Amino acid sequence: MIGHLVLRNAVHRPIRTAITVIAVAIEVTLVIIVVGLTSGLLLDTAKRTEGVGADVMVQPPSASVFMAFSGAPMPISIGKKLAQLEYVQAVAPVLVQFNSVNGLDLVYGIQPETFRQVSNGFVFEAGRDLEDPNDILVDDVYARARKVHVGQMLHVLEHDFHVAGIIEHGKGARLFVLMSTLQEMSGAHDKASIFFLKCDRSDHAAAAIDEVSQLLPRYEVRPLKDYMSQITSSSVPGLDVFINVMIGIAVGIGFLVTFLSMYTTIIERTREIGVLKSLGASKGYIVEIILSESSVLCLGGVVVGIGLSYIVRVVLLRIFPALSILITVRWMCLAGLIALLGGLMGAGYPAWLASRKDPVEALAYE
Amino acid sequence: MWLVLGAGLEPILKTENLWKVYRSGKLELAALRGVSIEVLPGEFISIMGPSGCGKSTLLHVIGGLAQATSGRVLLDGNDLTRMSDAARTLLRRHKVGFVFQRFNLLPTLDAYHNIALAQHIHGNGFDPHRFEAVVELLGLKERLHHKPSELSGGEQQRVAIARAIISEPKIVLADEPTGNLDTRSSDAVLALLRQLNRDLGQTIVMITHNPEAATYGNRVLHMRDGMVVDSVPGD
Repeated sequence: MIGHLVLRNAVHRPIRTAITVIAVAIEVTLVIIVVGLTSGLLLDTAKRTEGVGADVMVQPPSASVFMAFSGAPMPISIGKKLAQLEYVQAVAPVLVQFNSVNGLDLVYGIQPETFRQVSNGFVFEAGRDLEDPNDILVDDVYARARKVHVGQMLHVLEHDFHVAGIIEHGKGARLFVLMSTLQEMSGAHDKASIFFLKCDRSDHAAAAIDEVSQLLPRYEVRPLKDYMSQITSSSVPGLDVFINVMIGIAVGIGFLVTFLSMYTTIIERTREIGVLKSLGASKGYIVEIILSESSVLCLGGVVVGIGLSYIVRVVLLRIFPALSILITVRWMCLAGLIALLGGLMGAGYPAWLASRKDPVEALAYE
Repeated sequence: MWLVLGAGLEPILKTENLWKVYRSGKLELAALRGVSIEVLPGEFISIMGPSGCGKSTLLHVIGGLAQATSGRVLLDGNDLTRMSDAARTLLRRHKVGFVFQRFNLLPTLDAYHNIALAQHIHGNGFDPHRFEAVVELLGLKERLHHKPSELSGGEQQRVAIARAIISEPKIVLADEPTGNLDTRSSDAVLALLRQLNRDLGQTIVMITHNPEAATYGNRVLHMRDGMVVDSVPGD
């Protein structure tokens, strides 16, 4: 009976219902997309790092697992010592720079020969390998997103590069330049951010890690096999806070809209509340009706929000093909729960007010 | 003033020196001033009086919608004046049916659900036999799936009466049930109330300012300035 009453009320006031549902949908979409964007970017970065093909990654002491924050404090001569270890077959030093001009991208400064030994080389879709100091390689995703062709000039890191080739994505960064060029540009002469190590056998990775740890005791030595599992939102400074703030804003939107919606509802339906009380409806019954109505609207918003998330994802990926947006069942459920809780909290005060209305005054209300 | 009728039967409703005073700042307005009445089971009482004499206030207090300032209200042996709001709500749910001048049907529900809602609030679940019997008695079978906006005034009031009696209350309190109806519909509704009283023994207390409507009851109580001043037999 209450369900029927709630549904009839929702249908009876379609504009109010639509606005509330849309607001909750926006709340849900915001949560799903923000989390999806951050998760997607992290996962994409992790996959591409794993895609380098190395077995072990060596970083300076206390370096972040998220390489964009690593800097370049390691002398390149360390690479020679690493190459002499028993289980290490090849060493590729990489200088990592974060480009924020015309986008946000990681740039790898590499030594083509050593990088090839570790990664088995690039798969070229067009053009050639790095030869000239001003050459740059871009991956196919970047090329499609920015409409980049072989031979054109590309302004990256406040420097004009010549696009020498377009490579298949998945080997670390999307942009590659010669290490010497990047060292010159950043003033990090003879320095590297990471050493990628290829072992003689992949099952020797653990032994290689032990060797490196003995050689460089304070350095961060990680197996690349489980790199993805190490990349979480907490490994990026401030990202957890950002996500929580966005969720808080989303909950605030849902709370406020539901509060206003239910508050105006109980004002409009004062006489109805009086009628229900005259029939013997308890305070709990009145509260149940209001909270049920809020729940139904929120659930509608959750369903629409989930659908909207997929639409937003499609649109964003059309505009920014290089983006990665991960929508998971877990976060769809969490976003739905957050929306529902926000809605119930928003409806709580109006429900309490409604339950306390004087029946005689309510019946006389015009 | 005491007005006691009959002997032997316990009254279904009894008020003793009932006062209801409204306070607004330093202003005090006594809507009821020492009202003492008794209503026996199966009686049909009409309460008449000019506007502002306290008729509706009396109805609200005896129906448990409002709390008396002093005095006693005994409804089926329960002292309303000693009850909390929750207890009065519970009592009202099981023992009182209301019929209002403005029908007060829920506009989003059809007639069927407006009546069924009362059963749902009553808490004993949907009783299809009782429902059918009431619908049949009130001639609503063909109008059940219409919303109040699609019903005439008379039909809406019949739905309201059905809602009031569906859970077999001890007493029906009708506040100007014909106030918003034309003459023909008024006669039909009053005849219906009389039928409920005579055929089913339903106890009814009806407020009206219409002398003709008042005669449908067994007894007419006249009120003035918050007091019952007279009691005469009805038709």
